[in-house]
Amino acid sequence: MANQTPAVVMDNGTGFSKLGFAGNDSPSFVFPTAIATKGPAAGGGGSGSGRPSVANKPSFLTGGAGPGGHLSAKRGTEDLDFFIGDEAIAASSGPGYGLHYPIRHGQIENWDHMERFWSNSIFKYLRVEPEDHHFLLTEPPLNPPENRENTAEIFFESFNCAGLYIAVQAVLALAASWTSSKVQDRSLTGTVIDSGDGVTHVIPVAEGYVIGSSIKSIPIAGRDITYFVQSLLRDRGEPDSSLKTAQEIKEEYCYVCPDIVKEFARFDRDRSRFLKHVVTQPGGRQVTVDVGYERFLAPEIFFNPEIYSSDFLTPLPVVVDGVIQSSPIDVRRGLYKNIVLSGGSTLYKDFGRRLQRDIKHLVDTRIRASEVRSGGAKSGGLEVQVISHKRQRHGPWFGGSLLGQTPEFRSYCHTKAEYQEYGPGIVRRFALLGGPGGS
Amino acid sequence: MVRLTAASSQSLRPYLQAVRSSLTAALCLSNFASQTAERHNVPEVEARTSPEVLLTPLTIARNENERVLIEPSINSIRISIKIKQADEIEHILVHKFTRFLTQRAESFFILRRKPIKGYDISFLITNFHTEEMLKHKLVDFIIQFMEEVDKEISEMKLFLNARARFVAESFLTPFD
Amino acid sequence: MLLLDYQNVLIQSVLTERFSGAPPAHIDQTVSDFDGVIFHISTPETKTKIQVSIQIRCYKDLLRYGAEQVLNREYGPYVVAPEVGYDFSVLVDLENLPAEKEERDALVNKIALLKRNAMAAPFEQAYQEHYQLREEASKFTSEEAPQGVREGGEVKAIQYREEEAIYVKASHDRVTVIFSTIFREETDRVFGKVFIQEFVDARRRAIQNAPQVLFRNDPPLELQGVPGVKNTGTGEIGYVTFVLFPRHLTPQRMPDVISHIQTFRDYFHYHIKASKAYIHSRMRRRTADFLQVLRRARPDSEEKERKTASGRSFKVGS
Repeated sequence: MANQTPAVVMDNGTGFSKLGFAGNDSPSFVFPTAIATKGPAAGGGGSGSGRPSVANKPSFLTGGAGPGGHLSAKRGTEDLDFFIGDEAIAASSGPGYGLHYPIRHGQIENWDHMERFWSNSIFKYLRVEPEDHHFLLTEPPLNPPENRENTAEIFFESFNCAGLYIAVQAVLALAASWTSSKVQDRSLTGTVIDSGDGVTHVIPVAEGYVIGSSIKSIPIAGRDITYFVQSLLRDRGEPDSSLKTAQEIKEEYCYVCPDIVKEFARFDRDRSRFLKHVVTQPGGRQVTVDVGYERFLAPEIFFNPEIYSSDFLTPLPVVVDGVIQSSPIDVRRGLYKNIVLSGGSTLYKDFGRRLQRDIKHLVDTRIRASEVRSGGAKSGGLEVQVISHKRQRHGPWFGGSLLGQTPEFRSYCHTKAEYQEYGPGIVRRFALLGGPGGS
Repeated sequence: MVRLTAASSQSLRPYLQAVRSSLTAALCLSNFASQTAERHNVPEVEARTSPEVLLTPLTIARNENERVLIEPSINSIRISIKIKQADEIEHILVHKFTRFLTQRAESFFILRRKPIKGYDISFLITNFHTEEMLKHKLVDFIIQFMEEVDKEISEMKLFLNARARFVAESFLTPFD
Repeated sequence: MLLLDYQNVLIQSVLTERFSGAPPAHIDQTVSDFDGVIFHISTPETKTKIQVSIQIRCYKDLLRYGAEQVLNREYGPYVVAPEVGYDFSVLVDLENLPAEKEERDALVNKIALLKRNAMAAPFEQAYQEHYQLREEASKFTSEEAPQGVREGGEVKAIQYREEEAIYVKASHDRVTVIFSTIFREETDRVFGKVFIQEFVDARRRAIQNAPQVLFRNDPPLELQGVPGVKNTGTGEIGYVTFVLFPRHLTPQRMPDVISHIQTFRDYFHYHIKASKAYIHSRMRRRTADFLQVLRRARPDSEEKERKTASGRSFKVGS
């Protein structure tokens, strides 16, 4: 039966989980990676921005469970009484339930919660018998192999899934860009800029393998843009400056401009660029909020972080250039040529174009300088290309969906039989899906 | 082979006491270089290359289903435990649990990745372990392990039965 | 989550969103449901016309037992010619929806229950047969009833999974539903046995009015001579029998009973897996405890936890 069923693709991120079936162009379910269980929330659990917990042992040993925990509730059925996703958020606002986020900084911290999160994802939302389906899961770059083994243990022993493949999110994001018309060869070499809600990563990938030593993170992402919009609204004294309004304005009106000074001038010349946003407040009252310079200023914090933050001042193009320069020299050309965007905070209009221009500028300046130093030698130039495509928002999920429907996908999976033969260590290695030799 | 057999019922305490004393006595390890391979230092009880440094193995049995095998040698000692398994369910649970533990053997230092044939779980303690860990605490660990494993298995079994009952009744109630 | 939903959540949420007046959008999703059922939700012609198609592996069996009538009855005006590769399709025109919100919600639910309704056909037929047989049997005392009435209707076999089937048989005083079950994994088999035993005992102990549940490792008498039922003699296929008594067979209770009994197999497997998940979390806990004990054996591991004024803690190795 497993021969005809579509593969299940699950991308569990720090903030949101994307679930669906391979072959579709969007995930069937997108909801917060949150679980509401009986009892109070874990200390500080909530926004996901909490400080990393100070664990004295790796979480895969403790399961992240606090002291006391389950042994007290031996025969109860508390473990069935929980909600995930949006229902979890709803339940936690009522009494009796505490909200937990099992994934922190991309990695699974609480295996007990994660196992139940998966169980509910499979049986309540996706409604599949895991024995009939192959699964494609994602992991962040530099995920410890023990985490992979734990994941395999859960999927093979608890769920008896037919087959399992674990792919790195950045690699899937590269695969997702194959749908863009700008991509001619389906290579798995490129630089992935993954900007979600909490943090932005710049990840170089060569031939499907992440160059771990060169990864850089930037503490500016979607949430910061929302905060920035909110602060601008507050400064002007708008009638509604809630976080929700700020987010709506960000998603609806913001774009990236080529030059802020000129853009200010254009706004002052052309009053039609100022917009109005109508907010329906709880209670039914409608208020109108003016939308002004934040339209182009908000995404600008990627390129001029000093207008928002005082402790992080490196613009995104400089970070990207630095990441590529720190990668092995023989892959740099490929990394410049294929800079792929992924995640919700890269969706602003002209984001890719501005990024490409700025990086190109950095690269050309450097080339000119070295031409001068070498005394007359001419460089052939370097192609810089930033790729925007339609599936950017759920890039890794879409890449998974794309690869999960290929006919050879199943042969790349590890099966339950193989797991039992070799043990969990088998998932430390997966053949590279979509790599050379694949279709 | 010496064989001590404790009386069957109500025998947990003397059984554990016997294991404790035997272990304490056996945990008398010294650094000992291999006699067969130069500049090697291997656990002799595993290598089995020099019969003269192996001591007589000892089995302590509580009954036919529960026993401990202690194999001492000059620089290492192997302890294998056969955990009580009264039925199919306990058998599966023991198997699952010991596999779960050996999967994490790295963190347990003294846990052997594969049990000796006929036993469910094995530990290997070398002189290096006894040098950096407190000997009596290691013995405590083994004893506590034996106590709690039995408890855990029977609790899991109770859970399974309770859960099965709950699940069955929940399914059938809507018909009522 | 204790009981499984009867409806497909994705179809439900997609349609609810579309019906509530959200701007029309292009949809093209292939999604799976339990037992290898595949749904295709799409907008083939225009964005305002949503087509939902279903593919069921046992559709041939279902047709034999009157699925077409049941589906036509449920979806009458919405039925369209089946999409290529699928067994049955319905098409909803967003510009032509029922005016009342309640009716729209009812339509959403009805479409989300597509799988349930298709699978319901043989059960409904068995109900009807049971009514007929009861009618006939009431004319006789039990001894002199003709052979046909005593034996009841023919066994309806639905091969809903590759290795598993549902058998339904009506008689004048009961409807018997038999699930054949097979486990591919040893742990599941053992856990399954524990669960089944409780199903069998539940009626005796707690819920007197529940259907009687029987379990055996060889085909029950009802299935003798039914094509496709083999007695392998190895006992790896189990047969779970639910005996529905007249109190479950009233026309008022029919829809609920049919919905509920359909979920048996997936409910059963879901809970085996959920128990394994719980046992995993117990083992994690216990493993952490063991490590704690072992760590005490290290003299240098005496770490002290210190707290700053703001309540953050940090570790200091001594």
